[in-house]
Amino acid sequence: MKKLMIALASATVLLASSAMAQEKLKIGAAPYGLNAEFMQIWSAALEEHPAVKNGEIELTVFDGRYDALVQQEQFNTMITQKFNAIIFVPIDIEAGATAVQAAHDAGIPVVGSNTRVNSDLLAAYVGSDDTVSGYMEAKTVLDKIGCKGNVVIIEGPIGQSAQISRLEGNQKALAECPDVKVLEQQTANWSRAEAQTLMENWLTSHPGEINGVIGQNDEMALGAIEAIKAAGLNVGDFAIAGIDGVTDALNAVKEGTMTSILQDARAQAQGALDLAIFHAKQGDYKPQSDIWAQYPDMPFNDGKDKEYNVPWTPVTAENVDKLLDMRK
Amino acid sequence: MSSLENKTSSTWLNSDRRRLIVQEYGIFLAFLLLVGILSVSNQFFLTPGNISNVLLQTSINGVLAIGMTFVILTRGIDLSVGSVVALAGMVSASFVTSSATAGVAGAPYPMVVALAVGILVGVGCGALVGFIVSRFSVPAFVATLGMLSAARGATLIYGGGKPVPALSPEFRWIGTGSILGIPMPVVLLAAVFLVSWWVLTRTRFGRYIYAVGGNPHAAKTSGLNVSRIRFLVYVISGALSGLAGMILSARTGSALPQAGIAYELDAIAAVVIGGTSLSGGVGRVTGTLIGALIIGVMNNGLDLMGIQSYYQQVLKGALIVGAVMLDQKRNQGV
Repeated sequence: MKKLMIALASATVLLASSAMAQEKLKIGAAPYGLNAEFMQIWSAALEEHPAVKNGEIELTVFDGRYDALVQQEQFNTMITQKFNAIIFVPIDIEAGATAVQAAHDAGIPVVGSNTRVNSDLLAAYVGSDDTVSGYMEAKTVLDKIGCKGNVVIIEGPIGQSAQISRLEGNQKALAECPDVKVLEQQTANWSRAEAQTLMENWLTSHPGEINGVIGQNDEMALGAIEAIKAAGLNVGDFAIAGIDGVTDALNAVKEGTMTSILQDARAQAQGALDLAIFHAKQGDYKPQSDIWAQYPDMPFNDGKDKEYNVPWTPVTAENVDKLLDMRK
Repeated sequence: MSSLENKTSSTWLNSDRRRLIVQEYGIFLAFLLLVGILSVSNQFFLTPGNISNVLLQTSINGVLAIGMTFVILTRGIDLSVGSVVALAGMVSASFVTSSATAGVAGAPYPMVVALAVGILVGVGCGALVGFIVSRFSVPAFVATLGMLSAARGATLIYGGGKPVPALSPEFRWIGTGSILGIPMPVVLLAAVFLVSWWVLTRTRFGRYIYAVGGNPHAAKTSGLNVSRIRFLVYVISGALSGLAGMILSARTGSALPQAGIAYELDAIAAVVIGGTSLSGGVGRVTGTLIGALIIGVMNNGLDLMGIQSYYQQVLKGALIVGAVMLDQKRNQGV
């Protein structure tokens, strides 16, 4: 009897789930590329969204392979296969607009996440304002050196939207400390090895003069730390800051060698997915991710907003262990 | 037969050697000129600390370029070195990390284990490429292009796309330590250079490499195992890529999946600037070392002077083309 009950119950579940499968919403995610840690955390967070886990929606993640054309072709695929909504992280602010236009023409809502696209056809955008993080990181460096002395800036690839905005933020903070001199300012293309070489050479050409290092991402700040160590100098004599909160940087913050600002990939991903489902269901949906409770400053607001700004979290000695635990 | 062969090969070497000396001399003069200009224009350039920096910054490209020299001497090319750097760096790092999630079971192991693993990964990639090139007559460009893509993919699969952090201090010593004040990467570059110089100039295998590159048909007719030599040069390049990958991760403190992207281009540039002919059979590892030093000195000097890195790329491009133009002119002259 008991066995029969179980058999019946499982049959009902099977039937129900197959019936649901036909109704299942198909959501596509198009991140610019999956080679680096940040986008991996981002796409892993999508898979952990309650709506994906309970089988309510069917999620497909496309690897854009850092190529605007590849992303455009993936949009065409999603349009042909009649996806219900698309989450878009464009590699290029301009080239992405064509893809958004095509999806819009096919009646598919597109929700932006993490990086911007120059289009007013997005249903919504969930990201973090890079000028804010640029300001915050420069401020921690300037505070530590007491608003006087010399700093260097290690920039992202010139012309990328994050580089432009973070530099804008850096400069805003620097303007508040007119006595601070920027000795050098160069790109290391987000790369740790390139930043290490750059810093080694700067330590040579400005011996004993550099007080602070503003790295526009964590990787480059970490490269600068290695150069300082290799030169036999004391890392504690420098104020060093990065952005993103990658795992190596969290460990460095724990050691006290740098500061970092966490860009919450999880909130950007899960927030965008909630909005994608909301727009696919034309408003008949309540958000399921816990990120809305986590950030009271960013209310879901019945999906009405066009822009959702995920706040930055400074990584501190107090919260670093908790953040590291979340990575495991 | 054997005396006849020796005679022809020695006269062949003689005329070439003269040309080579001119070439090497020319590139050496160019190097001295560059050093002279930079010493005058920047007060920090010729300081011991900076010289050590330049050598350190040249070490990885130097090791790769020396391996590339073996391959190019046989008329081949190895486009896979950057990806093999990343793969060998990541796999070896997983044996010496203290991170619970990124390491293999039982890590951290002693440094020698990681060193052996890293070299083996490089040798494995090189052997696969060498096998495909020598047995199936697939052009080296295609076979190594395939490995460029495959090894990068394997790196991402192996590490799950994440870096391998927290490498043991013992392992990091090969990137950050020093012997008698000389940084370890520089010591390793010097060792690789000396052994390669000895192999190419003092051993039979070295002469065979020149013979295969100079005229593969003649080499085959005179009884050389051409495919075996072709196979071995890729194994050498792979092994050195493995070594370079470990120096890189030991220097940066963490093995990154994006490591080594486009490193093959700098390695080929050093070989070409150093006077080795892409049509094979002509060239020297000494020239390659100077070629790598020229690239290193130029990047360092422009950084010291605060010149945007974009200009460095333009200058490097001009240097590569200029070196080959000079080379062609001199060849026509001889």
